[in-house]
Formats: sequence, C-alpha cells, structure tokens
Amino acid sequence: MFRSIVLGVLFITLPGIATGQGNRAPALELKDLRGRTLRLSDYKGKVVLLNFWATWCPPCGAEMPDLIRMQRAYRRKGLRVIGVTYPPQEISEVSQFVRKLGVNYPVALGAKETKLLFDETETLPLTVVIDREGNIRDRIEGILLPEEFEQKIKPLLK
Amino acid sequence: MRKNRVPALLGLILVLSLGAVSAFAETKTTTIRVEGMKCNHCSGSVAKALKATAGVEKVEVSSEKGEAVIQYDDQIVTEAKLREVINGTGFKAVEEKSASN
Repeated sequence: MFRSIVLGVLFITLPGIATGQGNRAPALELKDLRGRTLRLSDYKGKVVLLNFWATWCPPCGAEMPDLIRMQRAYRRKGLRVIGVTYPPQEISEVSQFVRKLGVNYPVALGAKETKLLFDETETLPLTVVIDREGNIRDRIEGILLPEEFEQKIKPLLK
Repeated sequence: MRKNRVPALLGLILVLSLGAVSAFAETKTTTIRVEGMKCNHCSGSVAKALKATAGVEKVEVSSEKGEAVIQYDDQIVTEAKLREVINGTGFKAVEEKSASN
C-alpha cells in the first residue's frame, strides 16, 4: 500500500521535475548572436520571459512586436525578455530577422535540447515565465495574448 | 387602473423585442483556408487566437488540410474579423470555402 502511494507520487511529480515545471528554472548558458555568453542565473531578481521561437514559425514572428512593446513598457519594473531560437536555423538568417523587426532584447541560439529542459512538446512559440526568485511560474503555449500578459505576468511585476 | 397597465405593457414590449433579437442571432459555421500553415508545432496559435475572440463558439484547425472550421455568433463577431484574427497569427486567411447556418 505504502509502496503504491510512493510510486504514485513519484509518477505524478517526476515529469514536472524533469521539465523544470513548477519549480526552479534549470541553469542555462547559451551564446547570443554575437557569441557572448548568456546565463539565466544573471537574471535573478528579474521577471524573465524565455521565448522559444524559430524564423520558420509564422506565429513566432507575429508575436515579436508585442514582446518588443512589453520589454519597452515594463523594463523599469524588472521585465526581461530573452529570445531562444529553435532549430533548424542559420545565424545569418536569425540576425537578419531580429534586425528587421528591431528586437530590443537578447536573442540566444538554442537547440532542441534547450527547449526540452522546459517543455516536452514541440509547440512554438513557447514562453516560459520565470519569477524574480528563479522559479518557473508558467508555460504559455502559442502566441502570448494580451489577456495572458495581464493575468499571468503583470502580477509578478508588482 | 390605466397607470398600472403601462409597466405591464412596457414589460411585454421588452420581452417581445428581446425575443426578436435572439431570433436574429444565429450560430454560423465557416471554413477558412489558411495559407502557410504547414508547421504542426505552430498552428496551435491559430486555434488559440480564435478561441480567445468574443463570439467564437467552436474551433477546429487542421494543419494537414490547411483550414480552420469556426462556429461563431454573427451578432458578436463577423467573418471579416475572424480573418483578421487569423492574419494576426502570422498566417494568411484566404478565400472563403463555404458558409452555412
């Protein structure tokens, strides 16, 4: 009986632990488009939106102007957007894409494994919401809607 | 006595007019072809954006067929607005395939 309960609890919690869901964000160290190191740990004390995207994903490009506006409007309140690319990708194409849209936040080059640290699905775009203490608070699949920003992110910026 | 009849009459008119409005409100179903929706992993944004639109009752998006089948209340939202929402997700809503009540 006791063994069944323990196994049941493990079965429920392990997938969450493996994807970093509902707990501390995993350590992440990536290279940005200029080859500089970007560490998630450097953003402690900030509310981070880790936005996984790809140049070949139309909704990813469609939501970027909103992310740019959010970064501009809430930077002083501690919001930091970080873009993480999803393969297949060419650095030159990513750079051109980012320049064309006027992206005002850092963009790092990711791999499939990078996204797997946060999410088991292949959904794009995906925005992982990390609070000031470095805990994952939410995973928002698909385009980040204004009402989702109001309900899930804005309260963390107070 | 006549004074007492006025509120009752107004109430009757209100009930009848509400009935008339609801009689005009219809759930429509439309199929909109969505161009460029080849990416399985990102087509979910189309359904998400449509479901978040006031007046939309049911949405089925197929990246294989490249279309979105939408049930909506035409008193609240228009098909033009639905196309606008789809275009806002980075894909392109093209010609109307069919529309029925």
